[in-house]
Amino acid sequence: MAQKNSLPGFNLSLGYALLYLSLIVLIPLSAVFIKTFSLSWAEFVEAATAPRVMASYKLTFGASFIAALINVVFGVLTAWVLTRYQFFGKKIIDAFVDFPFALPTAVAGIALSAIYAKNGWVGSLLEPLGITVAYTPLGVIVALTFIGLPFVVRTVQPVLEDLGAEVEEAAASLGANRWQVFYKVIFPAIWPAVITGFALAFARAIGEYGSVIFIAGNMPMVSEITPLIIITKLEQYDYAGATAVAAVMLVISFILLFAINGFQWWNNRRFGYVK
Amino acid sequence: MSIEIKNINKGFGSFSALNNVSLDVPTGELVALLGPSGCGKTTLLRIIAGLETPDSGNIHFHGKDATERAVREREVGFVFQHYALFRHMTVFENVAFGLRVRPKHTRPNDAEIKRRVHELLNLVQLDWLADRYPPQLSGGQRQRIALARALAVEPKVLLLDEPFGALDAKVRKELRRWLRRLHDELHITSVFVTHDQEEALEVADTIVVMNQGKIEQIGSPQQVYDQPATPFVYQFLGNVNQFNGHATNGEIQINNTELKINAPELTQNSPVLAYVRNSDIEVYKESQHTTSTINARIQHIHAVGSLVKLELQLSHQSDVIEAELTQVRFKELALSQGDNVFIVPRNIRVFPSTATQ
Repeated sequence: MAQKNSLPGFNLSLGYALLYLSLIVLIPLSAVFIKTFSLSWAEFVEAATAPRVMASYKLTFGASFIAALINVVFGVLTAWVLTRYQFFGKKIIDAFVDFPFALPTAVAGIALSAIYAKNGWVGSLLEPLGITVAYTPLGVIVALTFIGLPFVVRTVQPVLEDLGAEVEEAAASLGANRWQVFYKVIFPAIWPAVITGFALAFARAIGEYGSVIFIAGNMPMVSEITPLIIITKLEQYDYAGATAVAAVMLVISFILLFAINGFQWWNNRRFGYVK
Repeated sequence: MSIEIKNINKGFGSFSALNNVSLDVPTGELVALLGPSGCGKTTLLRIIAGLETPDSGNIHFHGKDATERAVREREVGFVFQHYALFRHMTVFENVAFGLRVRPKHTRPNDAEIKRRVHELLNLVQLDWLADRYPPQLSGGQRQRIALARALAVEPKVLLLDEPFGALDAKVRKELRRWLRRLHDELHITSVFVTHDQEEALEVADTIVVMNQGKIEQIGSPQQVYDQPATPFVYQFLGNVNQFNGHATNGEIQINNTELKINAPELTQNSPVLAYVRNSDIEVYKESQHTTSTINARIQHIHAVGSLVKLELQLSHQSDVIEAELTQVRFKELALSQGDNVFIVPRNIRVFPSTATQ
């Protein structure tokens, strides 16, 4: 690194980046672990694996996973429509995609629960079919899908744009039908971006609080998410218990993101991308 | 397989890309669609491929109407300017793609696919790259792979859209000679689009010169170069001088000089445009008695290369014309900048001056 580079200021900028990361991310996160050490191992296990807490892990990670999967399907579709077609109002729809980014999550949560409640617009239509969304785990999935959508769209969109219509035309001229064009040509090309979008939507969903608590109903063992458990513990001044749960979440999230990134790295190497 | 294009019209919004275009491509020929950008040549090629639908008109393949046929049923090989290779597939898989997507009952088995792909890779002389991925290849290599991929499906027609447009000058030259040789070997009916006149003149059997959605001229390279049908073709192909003149009595007047030409179709005293190739301008130091000459002054001399280029200012008009002399002739005349000379245009082609618009 000592060699001269045409881009100056490597030391300064790296130093700044590390300082920034430390102040904003690493120090607060390590505080979580340090606080956890005030518990004995037995206390930690008890706090982190209580049945109510275990149920919340299952809900948080399960619902986040399903929501991210739903977003992969519809996010790719949305990105596809926005890149491949010209139509009236396209710019506006494109802007709508960012709404979940911009909207305060509590507002989203209140709006969603109003619509999906039994007397709401959508909820009243689903009610006769025996589907209850609000105040059930299904509601959690709906809220997490809502906040995760832009991540998939915004990661896949530039890749689809970059891919261009030409490769699709080439595949069609070689005799491929539409399905073959999709799964043999388009999907492999956007696959890494889809995984990234999935990982981002998933990570965002795991940490989501504001929009979920309004629609979830927060029934212990059924529709209570882990972030809510942490908040509840904090409100009861059980700081160590809260950090114990937080530490478990942190570790699981880290492992999942690490695994996804590892998969992507392997995938890129396999396809011989020269970056 | 022959292609017959009949009365094709195509517009994009209010812009008319193709205006009643008809064209026959005989079996086994290599045809160039030549024209400036925006002249509709790529649109025409894409309509032949089925990648674009005409607003009206018909495409016949070997006498059969193919206008409604989808791209994948047309049996055309299409080569794109920017290659459009599948970059997540190896070179081998790219070439094999067209065979692998066939319905089960017509799909060759793996051994046969392997044999065919290697045969094609040998044809484009890139068999040693079979396991690489497209991003690892140079532009010229990518385009040859794209060609092998298009040929793998044994297309009846090969369509190439500015195939060498994205390559540097040296590779472009090499590849177009190679394409010509390949065509001589395979004799597949081919149409390629280019804006590069040199490329079209060197490679094609027939050149179709297009401008503003219309065909200006169809002919062999020799014909379009030596006997341009319209002022546009004159200006687009080769170096040419344009003179503004007047027609009078079977003669035209340029720069106060009467020039005898044989153009009975010109009406009396109408404005005309006369075209003379740079190499058809003879330069003399003395006035010639046998023929009428135009007075001019040498403004600039470019003496680099096998030909000497002179910029000449006409004495009675503001027009500047260019003449090309051989080095031998240039030395013989001992010309220098600022000299007054007499020029004799040969092979004048005259058009009524409204014909340019």
